[in-house]
Amino acid sequence: MMKDSKIGGGLFPTTQVSVIVRLSSDDLALRFQATESMAAVYWKPIYKYIRLKWNKSSEDAKDLTQGFFARAIEKDSFKSYDPSRARFRTFVRTCVDGYVSNEEKAAHRIKRGGDCPVESVDFNSAEMELKLSELPAENTMEDYFYKEWVRSLFSMAVEVLRHEFTAAGKTTQFEVFERYDLNEDRATGEGSYESLARAMEIPVSQITNYLAFARREFRRIVLEKLREITANDDEFRSEARWLLGANLK
Amino acid sequence: MSKPLLGLIVGAVLGILDGLTALFYPNTAPLIMGILIGSSLKGLLAGVIIGFFARKIRSVPWGIVFGFGVGLLLAYLVAMRGDPTGHHYYLEIMVPGSIVGMILGFATQRYGKGPKGIGAN
Amino acid sequence: MNWLNDEMVDHLREVSTFPDLSRTPYRILRVLGSGGMATVYLAEDTKLSRPVALKVMDSAVSSEDSVSRMQAEAQIIARLEHPGIVPIHDVGTLPDGRVFYAMKFVQGNSLTHYSQKAAAISERLRVFLKICEAVAFAHAHGIIHRDLKPENIMVGAFGEVMVMDWGVAKILPGAEEDVTTLADFDSTGQGASTADDTRLDPSMRPPLKPLVETMSGTVLGTPSYMAPEQALGQTAGHSRLTDVYSLGALLYFLLTHRHPYEGASVQQIRENFREKQLLRPRKSDPTIPKSLEAVCMKAMAFEPPLRYSKVEELATDVELFLSDLPVSAYEENIIEKAGRWLNRYRFIIFLMFAYMLVRFVLYFLGRL
Repeated sequence: MMKDSKIGGGLFPTTQVSVIVRLSSDDLALRFQATESMAAVYWKPIYKYIRLKWNKSSEDAKDLTQGFFARAIEKDSFKSYDPSRARFRTFVRTCVDGYVSNEEKAAHRIKRGGDCPVESVDFNSAEMELKLSELPAENTMEDYFYKEWVRSLFSMAVEVLRHEFTAAGKTTQFEVFERYDLNEDRATGEGSYESLARAMEIPVSQITNYLAFARREFRRIVLEKLREITANDDEFRSEARWLLGANLK
Repeated sequence: MSKPLLGLIVGAVLGILDGLTALFYPNTAPLIMGILIGSSLKGLLAGVIIGFFARKIRSVPWGIVFGFGVGLLLAYLVAMRGDPTGHHYYLEIMVPGSIVGMILGFATQRYGKGPKGIGAN
Repeated sequence: MNWLNDEMVDHLREVSTFPDLSRTPYRILRVLGSGGMATVYLAEDTKLSRPVALKVMDSAVSSEDSVSRMQAEAQIIARLEHPGIVPIHDVGTLPDGRVFYAMKFVQGNSLTHYSQKAAAISERLRVFLKICEAVAFAHAHGIIHRDLKPENIMVGAFGEVMVMDWGVAKILPGAEEDVTTLADFDSTGQGASTADDTRLDPSMRPPLKPLVETMSGTVLGTPSYMAPEQALGQTAGHSRLTDVYSLGALLYFLLTHRHPYEGASVQQIRENFREKQLLRPRKSDPTIPKSLEAVCMKAMAFEPPLRYSKVEELATDVELFLSDLPVSAYEENIIEKAGRWLNRYRFIIFLMFAYMLVRFVLYFLGRL
């Protein structure tokens, strides 16, 4: 099932073919599309990473982020990715380091034009998030990139969930999920289910049902997206376990 | 075969063999029948006592120790009598007697059926 | 787009990772392990205040076949009520559709760790006999394990032995019963109470659902402990003798502390089979008795008809060895027979020798 592709605040393609495979396509248009899909998850982590690790201003980080993706399409940078050597996100981070380092050496930057897949994203939102979050230590930038990657993936999944539930007339279910699982002030234990049930005037059993349903769908969406941005089955299973499985903490 | 019965049979056999060793001493030859009967009875009695002990206490080390004690005691009672000349053969009777007791202790612990058909150790 | 702070991300990760147990009496404590298609968690049964091991299917990999397989696994284990087979307490479906079952949480070490600590060979053989007992019980009920390996055997602190992970077990032809469908497991996890009821009244248990047929060519099991017919994917050839082989391999491991074949992959194991690369136990440890080596090698015979025909026969030979009696797998020569006889009766022989020595000494003392 294909949906519209839109970076930043929208959806992402839900095809089953790995985006990673299409990144190496000889067809430029296909490569652009694939990069667009991949960039939907990666642009924010890359922007923040460049800002913090390379200590760039927001304007420079924006240029470098856009430049990175444009260069990737132009030079087919992701073709050299080998799943047996590293995870794709590790490969991307390494490519970003290489790109930024080269740009620094070249001591100039070319303003990218309209062919960049991240031309229209909201960098201000990324900048705002940076201000709101705790800055990582210098030697933990790899972990930081991974954390931001997870955050980006989850954020996209929440937006897809919102869109799907709205389209299916399940706005109450999404509201329960949003008010409980996305609530900064969420209390732990049964008390919070009850207060939410009271506030929404529905039974507690309904709250737990809706939550279970929404979480199940959320997990499905995350795994679908994860499958897209992993090169093969082994990498997908490994990432799925890492993200949502036994290797946590 | 129960442990007391095993002890009885093995004790009797060892008792006879133990008694026969008296033939190594020429001066005991005239008394050999008495020695054999006495030795067999001693072995038989020791075997039964040690066999009953083995029914109650299932422990090879303790069985050997008990056998040693019983063999030693019974051998002492025999050695106390002495020969017609009044000579006592404490060493010749008690030391081998205690070893026979140890053999009986080990055998009744390892073999023979305990109460209610429980097998040997 | 909502911004997700760190706490929200961690929370979403947790609720997406750990199964939703909201309509079950279980509370997850931690992950115990994962592999294949499921993850096992340490959980608390809040009704009975006891720890349980909860095996939950991973939705990332679930398919109709794997769901059926897991349900069948739970049924198999539930039918095998034996002290050496981990008991199942509960089975059902979670609200998110994933199949789970709860089993006794076994505290102890896997056979791998146990083997590193256990000193005496007699102690290790007694553990092996307990494994044989459990497997023989399963065979008597028409079920073969097919994945016996050190990691699937737990040895408890008090010497109790549990055979775990019946995920690739097979019901032998003739042991299956007529089946319609399993008891339905609804999405509220209420299948749990159904499982409780059927445990209380065995006659009411639903008949075993046939396992999903394993396609010929599929390799099930763990390479080093696989029988040749398993490594070659000959699923039709799997029988009790397949488990006999694996038990022989476990015996090999207990004797030598090494895996029978060191090749990690099925392909390498196949190569080893072809080239008969099995190192005899005494080659790695010459102190292993020949008769025990023979028992091990007979159990691990390449051709199934050359192995012990039943697990009981293998266990009997090990028991005979422990009793210093001749084993069926090894033909002793006269010297070995005499040596074994002397070893078996060594204490009595010692005492008799002591008796004769005492008599001898006393005789000569008397002569002096």
